[in-house]
Amino acid sequence: MSSASVPRPTLRQSVALVWRSLRSMRTALGLLLILALAAVAGSLVPQVGVADARIAAMFRDHPLRAELYDRIGLFDVYGSWWFTLIYTLLLVSLVACLIPRTRALVRNLRTRPQPARELETMRHYAERTVPEPPDRAIASAGRLLRRRLFRVRSSGGGGRPWVAADKGLARELGSLLFHWSFLLILVGIVWGKGTGFTGRAVIVEGQTWTEAHAGYDGQIREGRFFDEDHTGIQIQVDSFRATYRIPSGIPKDFVTTAELFQPDGTPAGRVRISVNHPAELDGVKIYQFGFGWAPVIRVERDGEPLASGPVVCTQGAPPRGVSPLQLPWDCVVKLPTLRPQVGIRFELWPDVRGLNALLTTGRPMPMLTAYSPVLTFTAYRGDLRSDLALPGNELDTAAMRRFDQGAVGAGETTKLGDGLTVSFPDLKRYTVLEIKRDRGLGILLVAAILILVGLLPALYTSRRKLWISAQPAPDGRGSLLKVGGFALQRRPQFEEEFARLVDTLAPPGRAEGGRPGPRAAGPRHPERTDAERVRT
Amino acid sequence: MIDTGWARISTDAFNVALGAYIVSAVAYFFHLAFRKTPVWALGLVAASLGAGAHVVSIVARGIAAGRVPWGNMYEYSSLLSLLVVLGYLIVVEGLYRIRTLGGFPLTFAVLTMAVAVSFLYVGPAPLVPALNSYWIKIHVVAAIAGSSLFALGSVITILYVLKDRAERRAAPAPKPIMGASTELEDEVAPYFEPGADEPAALVAPARRGILPSAEVLDRIAYRTIAFAFPIWTFAIIAGAIWAEQAWGRYWGWDPKETWSFITWVVYAGYLHARATSGWKGRRAAVIALVGFASLLVTYYAVNLWIVGLHSYAGV
Repeated sequence: MSSASVPRPTLRQSVALVWRSLRSMRTALGLLLILALAAVAGSLVPQVGVADARIAAMFRDHPLRAELYDRIGLFDVYGSWWFTLIYTLLLVSLVACLIPRTRALVRNLRTRPQPARELETMRHYAERTVPEPPDRAIASAGRLLRRRLFRVRSSGGGGRPWVAADKGLARELGSLLFHWSFLLILVGIVWGKGTGFTGRAVIVEGQTWTEAHAGYDGQIREGRFFDEDHTGIQIQVDSFRATYRIPSGIPKDFVTTAELFQPDGTPAGRVRISVNHPAELDGVKIYQFGFGWAPVIRVERDGEPLASGPVVCTQGAPPRGVSPLQLPWDCVVKLPTLRPQVGIRFELWPDVRGLNALLTTGRPMPMLTAYSPVLTFTAYRGDLRSDLALPGNELDTAAMRRFDQGAVGAGETTKLGDGLTVSFPDLKRYTVLEIKRDRGLGILLVAAILILVGLLPALYTSRRKLWISAQPAPDGRGSLLKVGGFALQRRPQFEEEFARLVDTLAPPGRAEGGRPGPRAAGPRHPERTDAERVRT
Repeated sequence: MIDTGWARISTDAFNVALGAYIVSAVAYFFHLAFRKTPVWALGLVAASLGAGAHVVSIVARGIAAGRVPWGNMYEYSSLLSLLVVLGYLIVVEGLYRIRTLGGFPLTFAVLTMAVAVSFLYVGPAPLVPALNSYWIKIHVVAAIAGSSLFALGSVITILYVLKDRAERRAAPAPKPIMGASTELEDEVAPYFEPGADEPAALVAPARRGILPSAEVLDRIAYRTIAFAFPIWTFAIIAGAIWAEQAWGRYWGWDPKETWSFITWVVYAGYLHARATSGWKGRRAAVIALVGFASLLVTYYAVNLWIVGLHSYAGV
């Protein structure tokens, strides 16, 4: 036979071939393990959104390697095309396996247990005599099996009576439920992420914030199918409290107390938002995310205010071994209307003892609460470079010159050059809330419950089949029962169940005439059952 | 808030438990090698007393810290080893009545506790806010229960691989005729009494008697892992629900999440492999051991070397 005589597969055949191989358990198994390997890669290489600083460090220290990693998506494994490909293939393979299995199950559920011949050849087989006539013996056997939750089918009239029974469809049902639920998980994720959004709101104590795109100041991720249906709810932050354990400085709790309002302004209640205790309004969840200090700073010239209000201060990442509590907070006030323009960089020391400790001992001290707070400042004059569109808390001093520096305590006012005065009337806190809407959560919860509900029968029940037939006993008194059956899983257990069942059908002592069944209940092929144990 | 008296009791009871486990492990290994019932009894009693002291240690720790006693890695390791020992006592000694395997899970417990007390120890302290939730009771308990059962299953899987190898090497003898080798042990044993000069060929089957048969080991290992799998699944789900509450997202590919998912996937692969022809037995056992390795990474490496949100659950 030459290879030329083999016809090339048609497209249809090729598709069928791919589909068949996707349907095999081996393919699914392989894909599952590849998925695990891909996830390993994602846990070893720093990921976007989880370890951005480490990625930046890698670009700095090993630019070539970082570039390569970036090209093949190793910094964003779980969003990369190949990770998507793996799990898509896995889900397709899953569906390819599930469709025929589901069909088979439906067929199985519809058809009643089938009669069988040759019960003697089954893996488990027993004969017993009972005093009742065959018809009644079979009827009571059927009742017994129904009580034990078997599906039972009895012979009609005529001929030798029998019952056929099976049990354990829950195994396949559970397994299918478990596997289909993963598709439901996918639906939940796509729907929830697609129609939802996650953003961060920075709100100073006393301020009211409205849930709208502009309110997030760019710190928002909206889903692909999100159609700008922001809720318009309002959050009025009354206070934020950070408490620490003394003296360890371990955080105890972070609590935002706020008043919520519906979009139309009707009050929707007072809430305490803390870690582990988000608030919820109008399908939007509000989480405690972060916090910081917002000193109220007023800059005046000749009694005329140029800038006034709370300024949000932030902190950079602390060096190794230093707690953020030991660092001052940075903020910036820009005065673009002046000619030349003026920018003032502030450092806030919420606890003056922190500044003193640094100045006297050179070692920073954790600042847990506000204690005569102090602002140190450096003022610059020149071009603010507004064309660069820098964030509010960044100052580019490349085109500026320093003209003054100093400090101002809470409640004080101090003079800068050019007739400017800076005052620090009050120190407030701000809270960072994570605002989030995910409509897929309900679907995901249902899917998770279905997964667990399906998993239990899929792992712990087994499918077994049983037949009983009855004929008049050879000595004419009562009837001879033949019982045969087998289990597809958990065979050692079925061996015991079978023996118990036979004993219940015909208790060994009850057999009248003193003739026990010719064969004791038990495994028909002991050597085979022994080998089967390996599989269960 | 931190009660030093209770902290002291906890540490002392921990040391008592560790000592008792060491005695028990040695006794069990001795019994495995020489089959002396009194030594087995010693092993069992020592393990049970150790478990009792261990319970005292964990409860005292909880009282000392004024919270649930599984808030950091030291406490988690301690509870994990207790559950492995209890799992062994209940499942292997209680349900399967197998007396020879005790040395292995107890060695695991001893190693885990030794690592915990030497590298991971921190004094009792209250929890940071993110851990302060009733979900810590649900999520962490499920995670510890699941991992202790996985650990037990893996110890037995290792024994299965060793035994399976020995059986394959020793046995041109057809297995089906031999029947259940557990039953054979008593019949075979007399041949190997000291001084009996049997031909060397018969010594090989003697080694078969040291452990239960590969089939039995395989079955126990499978049952244990199949029992652990839904618990682990539940732990991950509970973790996702908690993460949704604490961090505002149910899944973020945090290293701990990623590795618990990898562990889950590998064990799911194991369960599927058992149902696939050609993947049973040793191949499936290899997958189970890969799963265990992944569990150890989830448990130790993620907290100690990989930075993530779970790091503060830290040492």
